[in-house]
Amino acid sequence: MHRICRVAAFAAIFLLAGGFGFVPAHAQEPVTIGLVVPLSPPGDPTAGQLIRRGAELALDYYNGKGGVLGGRKLQLSVQDSQGRPEGGVAAYRRVVGEDKAVAVTGFFHSSVNIAANEVAKSMGVPTIGTQTSAADITAKHYEVAFRTHLIDPLRVAAWLEFMQKKGFKRVSMVAETSDYGVGLITETDRQIKEKKLPIELQTLTFDRTSTDLTPQLLQVKAFKPDLLVNVGVGAPMDLMIEQAATLAITPAVPMLVSYDAPIRPQFWQLHPNTGDKLYFIAYYSPKQTLSEIGTWFTKAYEEKYKESPVYSSLNGFGDVAIVAQAVEQAKSTDPKAIIQSLENGKFAFWSSGDVTFPNADGVFWHNFSPPVLILQFQRPGQDWKEAEVAYESGK
Amino acid sequence: MNGAAPILETRGLSKRFGGFLANDAIDLSISAGEIRGIIGPNGAGKSTLINLMTGVLQPNSGDVLLAGESLVGRKPHEIARKGLVRSFQVSRIFGNLSLLDNLRAPLLAAVSTRDVRAEGVAKAHRLLERLGLARLADAPAKTLSGGQRVLLQAAAGFMMPSLSCYLLDEPFAGVNPVIKDQLIELIEEESRARGLTFVIVSHEMAVMRRLCRKVTVLIQGRIVAEGSLDEIASRADVIAAYLGRSFA
Amino acid sequence: MWSLELFTQALIAGVVIGVIYALMALGITFIYSIVKMINWSMGEFYMLGSYAQYLIVAYWLGPDLWYVAAILSAATVFFVGWLIEPILIKPMFTGGIERRDDYATVVTIALLLLLRNLATAISGPYQRTPGSNLPGVMLGPLPESGARFAAFLAALAAIALFTFLLKRTWLGLALRATSQSRVGAQTAGVDVLSLDKIAFGIGVGLAGLAGALLAPVFMVYPTDGVVTTTKGFEIIVIGGLGSVPGALIAGVALGVAESLGATFIASAYQNAYGFVLLLLVLALRPSGLFGERLRQA
Ligand SMILES: Nc1ncnc2c1ncn2[C@@H]1O[C@H](COP(=O)(O)OP(=O)(O)O)[C@@H](O)[C@H]1O
Ligand SMILES: [Mg+2]
Repeated sequence: MHRICRVAAFAAIFLLAGGFGFVPAHAQEPVTIGLVVPLSPPGDPTAGQLIRRGAELALDYYNGKGGVLGGRKLQLSVQDSQGRPEGGVAAYRRVVGEDKAVAVTGFFHSSVNIAANEVAKSMGVPTIGTQTSAADITAKHYEVAFRTHLIDPLRVAAWLEFMQKKGFKRVSMVAETSDYGVGLITETDRQIKEKKLPIELQTLTFDRTSTDLTPQLLQVKAFKPDLLVNVGVGAPMDLMIEQAATLAITPAVPMLVSYDAPIRPQFWQLHPNTGDKLYFIAYYSPKQTLSEIGTWFTKAYEEKYKESPVYSSLNGFGDVAIVAQAVEQAKSTDPKAIIQSLENGKFAFWSSGDVTFPNADGVFWHNFSPPVLILQFQRPGQDWKEAEVAYESGK
Repeated sequence: MNGAAPILETRGLSKRFGGFLANDAIDLSISAGEIRGIIGPNGAGKSTLINLMTGVLQPNSGDVLLAGESLVGRKPHEIARKGLVRSFQVSRIFGNLSLLDNLRAPLLAAVSTRDVRAEGVAKAHRLLERLGLARLADAPAKTLSGGQRVLLQAAAGFMMPSLSCYLLDEPFAGVNPVIKDQLIELIEEESRARGLTFVIVSHEMAVMRRLCRKVTVLIQGRIVAEGSLDEIASRADVIAAYLGRSFA
Repeated sequence: MWSLELFTQALIAGVVIGVIYALMALGITFIYSIVKMINWSMGEFYMLGSYAQYLIVAYWLGPDLWYVAAILSAATVFFVGWLIEPILIKPMFTGGIERRDDYATVVTIALLLLLRNLATAISGPYQRTPGSNLPGVMLGPLPESGARFAAFLAALAAIALFTFLLKRTWLGLALRATSQSRVGAQTAGVDVLSLDKIAFGIGVGLAGLAGALLAPVFMVYPTDGVVTTTKGFEIIVIGGLGSVPGALIAGVALGVAESLGATFIASAYQNAYGFVLLLLVLALRPSGLFGERLRQA
């Protein structure tokens, strides 16, 4: 009797305490968004930091407006993927399993994104690829997999349109033998044939660990192209700029760099003269028109970091903004409801125009590609923000 | 034999390999200018004794003294520089170096004076001449025959600038009689000319009799006899250890 | 795509890069022949040399004094090696002067990771360059950058100087004797363990010199030494472990094979032609072109 009383008393206290604790917490409990980014080698820590900066400003934006779902604040659970698939899987499990994230974004390395998607498939919380380009991320048509990065077919379509516009007829592509490089070569070749474009394409590849591209470039020189497409990433891209100039290919033959590396601060230190007149793919230029939140973001970013935002930060911002809007539209933090609203809703992004994630064919499934730009430096040492917009997709 | 102060001495020198006592409290005293023979059956611990004296092995107990100075704990190259030089049972010449370079190498031990080295090079040429190898001075040492290698290794020891005491480990093993004679003559000559001290490990009784006035017998890590070859040749325990090997 | 001009260009380019490769390989083969260990962190000493060159040129001497900077950089790396050897490498010689096999592999791979991560942590992952004011040159039909041509000439000079040091000096005699027989050298009065320090320093210094000379050509970043390690090992297998002329000839052979193969067969396999050459040499002469079949006692 005595004992039963005591148990009952404990139970009552427990329920009371639990109850008081629980009910108000539900209204105030923050909504967690997972951010899986590379913050240490072998990942690209710089990219990770830049994405994180953007994501944090998205929180500032929405929390500054009172949060979501009638007053719940947003918060980030940031995890380091180290650029390794296992790291990405562990990070996804942690943010979803322990921190109860409603969606996970920030992905930079394709392999990390792909590995995380396999876990996401069973755990059910959606992912949004921030800067991952491999086809498999969306081509597998997983319910949970979304992406907002420029994918290869669109990058290729963009530069083919650019070549058409500029009248380039003989084009050399020198690409690294990675998925990225070989993928771009294959896709370019395929689209030229499919669209029956009058472009003669020379394709050459090199191993990523090569430092001497002279053999490839001697063949380029002998081919006498009117455009050289540089599909190196990191050091090989820089080496190709230098070695093409040494062999007197550039500047007579203009060069197009396949991604936005020339906007990095050390670019002119590496290529004080050879960087002039370079074309390069970019995903953002201050000369571009932005959405309302995009404009807010660039201002906030410049105030906070005393420099212009780059694509990584813009997309980090945009993806968190999408999650916030999806939660709002779903009126719920249930992952299933959020997936529903991602599939059916329209979302503001940093670029102008709305983001949608249609159940489209192939790689375009759940995929949104931001606009593509091709910029060109006009003089040595020029700030990339002043570089001329030589091409803008959809214009 | 006489009262001359010993140049090389060991006191209670012992070396244990696991449970096996390879050298057991060796007391040896070699006078300056002496040519001492060490004989004993295979495995008696002769090479071990030389390794202990030249710092290649560290003793478990006991001491080694060169001209009164303890050598225990010194590194082999330091001991060599002090003048206690050795040759190896298995020849350690520098196969890819020329004969001349093989003889120049010991000059590295000189505390770097140009004169010593210049003199040394002249001496190297004389030695090669003396051994009939002058013609091969610039050939790599690996082109030499086995016997010639033995001569070269022995000659290299004589090149050590500070050489005072030379330990030769079985220099005559497997060497033809002509080369053997050349080597014996070289030892006698250097002994006479420079008053060097020698310790020679050998099974060659004829050579021992010719070179050494005093011989030490080592059996199972212990000194069992010391004296002229004829004195010890009469001892039953020594004969037993050699199991009928000829002392002629 | 065959043309005589293209062939000549590719051939010259191959010789130039080959001599530079040889300089990268020299240190590995040299350290092996003295200290009897493979230094897996050689590429990281190349990397140190390249960063030293960058720092000295960018913050102190300027690109016109590149050669002074290269000497200082090589000396710095020598000094680092000289300091590191007794701490990291010497313990592999337990009790004597003969080696413990696996030790050096473990230690130098750990050193590789340490140096690489340190470089990433301190300087960030991005490329830098000390820059160069040297004008381009024409080598026959091949336009060549001034910096690369200078690196080629300096590599030749360094190899010649190194050969002179080995063949004509007393230190060289000590080094050659030690490489033949460590016990023999010790018996001849050579302080083998302190010679190890000098040898290790010289070996990594050669890699550091390559890093310094190539800093403006191949840029400076935390993993810029990877090429040194891979090409270096190919070269010493082709040329024969421990052989200086072997390293030079194998370096040029490798450079030419890669250049011609990448130009006329398929550029994607640029790094594979060296391996083909390597397998060929191994099949015909397992000890390399200039290697010893058996180490002579
Ligand atoms: N480094 C060693 N470790 C273990 N045992 C050894 C070592 N060196 C010699 N021995 C043993 O010590 C004994 C004496 O060897 P050694 O001195 O070479 O004899 P000797 O030169 O008289 O023929 C032998 O039984 C030999 O096996
Ligand atoms: Mg013996």
